[in-house]
Amino acid sequence: MTPDHPSRRPDTLTLHWALTAVLLAVGVGIVVFVTPVEATMGPVQKIFYLHLPAAINTFLACTVCFVASVGYLWRRRLEHDRLAAAAAWAAVAQCSVVLITGMIWGRAAWGVLWTWSPRLTFSLVLWLLYVVYLVVRPSVESTQRRAMVCALYAVVAFVDVPLVYLSVRLMPDIHPTQVLLEPAMKYTLLYALVPLTLTNVGLIAWRYRRLGGRAGRAPLAGVPAAAALSRSEAP
Amino acid sequence: MTRPLQQLATLVAKDLRIEARTKQTVGLVVVLGVLILVVLGLGIGQQVASGAAATAVLWVAYLFAGVLCFEKTMALERQDGAMAGLLLAPVDRAVLYAAKLLTNLVLMGALAVVITAAAVLLFNFRLTAAPGSFLLVTTLGLLGFAAVGTLFAAAMSSTRLQGGLLALVIFPICLPLVITSTQLMLRAFSTGGDSTAAGVGVLLAFDAVYLVLSWLVFELLLEP
Repeated sequence: MTPDHPSRRPDTLTLHWALTAVLLAVGVGIVVFVTPVEATMGPVQKIFYLHLPAAINTFLACTVCFVASVGYLWRRRLEHDRLAAAAAWAAVAQCSVVLITGMIWGRAAWGVLWTWSPRLTFSLVLWLLYVVYLVVRPSVESTQRRAMVCALYAVVAFVDVPLVYLSVRLMPDIHPTQVLLEPAMKYTLLYALVPLTLTNVGLIAWRYRRLGGRAGRAPLAGVPAAAALSRSEAP
Repeated sequence: MTRPLQQLATLVAKDLRIEARTKQTVGLVVVLGVLILVVLGLGIGQQVASGAAATAVLWVAYLFAGVLCFEKTMALERQDGAMAGLLLAPVDRAVLYAAKLLTNLVLMGALAVVITAAAVLLFNFRLTAAPGSFLLVTTLGLLGFAAVGTLFAAAMSSTRLQGGLLALVIFPICLPLVITSTQLMLRAFSTGGDSTAAGVGVLLAFDAVYLVLSWLVFELLLEP
């Protein structure tokens, strides 16, 4: 017999968020109460445990966006397009965190919120690349055309990332070339990677579900756009 | 001359012949470029006397005028079903891309000559300090810019969207090109020396990546 309210059972994503919240809370506790305070920077250095994992997860989200976009160009399945859009959204969210925490760090370290150093410029360009992806999506009316243009853009944008990195290396830099951490700080950083990576996965999964998940498929080439819009598509 | 090269020459000649007869694209693009130089010159004021800002100002003019150029050359194919005719012709899609790219490069070259001359006049831009570096960096930069611009102009051509969107898409993609070009020019003009091999290598990498990528995916864009 079918239960009357199957939706009351917590789904995988809810469980995922619950686990992530617990691990995040433990992480915050470790960062605030256990990890030693850095001698030069003081307490503001602790922002590093959010900054670096967020940066790593930005790259992971960009990679998911790229792979899903290549998948769309290859198979023309709309779920690949939706996954790419969800990953781009997660990349922008986390890159925003990287930029904001970087500015807070910069204010404490150099006395200014922003400087045109290579790493800051690189983060800003990366953020811009994926913000444009999200802005362009709703502007293309046809579902199939939108998926094609966005997949193409995502592939080019991802290939652009190493070039951005190479180009900004030509700019004068004030960032330290390497960061030395004592063991307690290193372990905290490694731990922080776990809940923040789970957050990344949760963001992509949540957004993917909101965009329609695995439902629907791109129509065959030549079918009019109106036929392609047989079901409403979130941009 | 092999068949693809003959087809390429025919297509480029067709585009340039249309441009020679209508004189629509070059006129618009050059006037827009000069206008941008004047507006930026007025905004920057006396700081331009050093000529250091001229390299950045030149790239701003190339970018905006270039986007207009890509839109206009692709718009030609939308009139009277010209693109459908091209797609029905027994021509490889890569040749279509190469032809449109070459047309854009010719027009961008004309634009660069006029805008650079205007910058020399308006910005006290001493081109003689490093002419070789300027020519090399500008040529490589415009090649990469035109490669990306031609690709996305084709992608956007069937979306019935206005021009701002093409600029929105192309500008962030072209940022490494702009950063590299302006940094190399600043170095070349401040030291009077040649561009560094590493910087020119980045520009070459940019050109190679975008030419290959555009060649690979252009066919997908032209599907009905």
